[in-house]
Amino acid sequence: MIDLQGYGPRLLEGAMVTIELAVLSLILAVILGLLTASAKLSRNRLIHGIGTLYTTLVRGVPDLVLMMLLFYGGQIGINMLTDQLYYAFDIDIFININAFVAGVITIGLIFGAYMGETFRGAFQAVEEGQMEAARAYGMSPLLAFRRVRFPLMMRHALPGIGNNWMVLLKTTALVSIIGLTDMVRVAAEATKATHEPFLFMIPVAMIYLLIATLSEWGFAKLTKRYNTGFGESSEWNN
Amino acid sequence: MAATPIPLEAKGIKKRFGDHEVLKGISLQAHKGDVITLIGASGSGKSTFLRCMNLLEQPDEGELIVHNETINFRETKHGREPADWKQVERIRAKLSMVFQNFNLWSHMTLLENVIEAPVHVLGKPRKQAIDEARALLDRVGLLDRADYFPTQMSGGQQQRGAIARALAMDPEVMLFDEPTSALDPELVGDVLQVMRGLADEGRTMILVTHEIAFARDVSSQVIYLHQGVVEESGTPADVLDNPRSERLRQFLAPKH
Repeated sequence: MIDLQGYGPRLLEGAMVTIELAVLSLILAVILGLLTASAKLSRNRLIHGIGTLYTTLVRGVPDLVLMMLLFYGGQIGINMLTDQLYYAFDIDIFININAFVAGVITIGLIFGAYMGETFRGAFQAVEEGQMEAARAYGMSPLLAFRRVRFPLMMRHALPGIGNNWMVLLKTTALVSIIGLTDMVRVAAEATKATHEPFLFMIPVAMIYLLIATLSEWGFAKLTKRYNTGFGESSEWNN
Repeated sequence: MAATPIPLEAKGIKKRFGDHEVLKGISLQAHKGDVITLIGASGSGKSTFLRCMNLLEQPDEGELIVHNETINFRETKHGREPADWKQVERIRAKLSMVFQNFNLWSHMTLLENVIEAPVHVLGKPRKQAIDEARALLDRVGLLDRADYFPTQMSGGQQQRGAIARALAMDPEVMLFDEPTSALDPELVGDVLQVMRGLADEGRTMILVTHEIAFARDVSSQVIYLHQGVVEESGTPADVLDNPRSERLRQFLAPKH
């Protein structure tokens, strides 16, 4: 067995941080992505404009710059806001953006924009007749979305979501810069202390690879599920 | 003699797309058990009129009364729209539509398609909906296809499945929008046979079709539309066998 010189447990903790960060960011990104896609498909020009501004901004600025802006700038902004609340209404609150929350928000915001593009294309790929039938049978907009548009859209969105997820997973490594102790940071510290980069970086690489492989498997399952009713038709057709 | 109930009435329906007025004030009254057929050249507005009845298109003017309930509209800066979408949803659930392109939900099996709206819109218990759906599928000759997906069925089977889906709502009125136009000729017969059965059992139906012979057989009333107005209307014998206008005569003349 490899001797991790006592860094083993910390490395595992770091791996957990990476996973939590990635999963929570993914959830935020999917929610933002659905909202962005709806905004960009909206006929309301203001809403459409906000969606476009968001994706343009995020896709045009490096992830690291956004992360620093949000981590440092976000705290300053919130402090100003809470100060105002205190002066104006005598409400005294203190909100501390910790590195983990900042990481989730930044990565969620960045990938929300990419997810938005993925979802937009996927929504447009849903045949209009499918939604028309949903409306004609008395479904409310929410029910029609849940039962018809969403499941049909997912078939087109899943490849893009899977791709975004892989990139997102690797982007989480950036949070070590803003002081979050993910597994990359633990490995970097350990390397500095022991001068044995391979001993720590190779396990880290393996863990990323393991998560990625498990995700591939999960996405394959999801893809199969949302593809029911499409393809594989020849053997039945008569 | 008690008056026959009127499950659907449209009064003076007008609809424009941009500068083009597609419907110029069309009325229709469907008594219980009526089979009303709308015929006319493409572009005459017959499908648009049908789609106005379940508000897939919003009429710009005119009144709609479904099962004694008048649909409320309000004026917005984008034109007129229903004042109460809940009312629209309730009314749509009473008017099942059968589409030209079937529009069965492609991610659901045939059985799931048939129980979807009864369970999720009408709130029927799933078990009961499944039993009823099976009986309906049997009736349209598709019980053995219950677990197939739409892509695994022929067009004729999909359309018969779509009719089963429509029947599962136990609708006040069934709306058929060119139900056989997308089918290969050899598949049309089965679908028409199912529809004939519905007409015979007294279903109230409004039908847009190019199948003149079928219209003659099953209709209680035939309406001929031309450029958004009713040009002729009456019994099949009046309209189809003794057309008054030259235009209708030409429309009915065998194509070469």
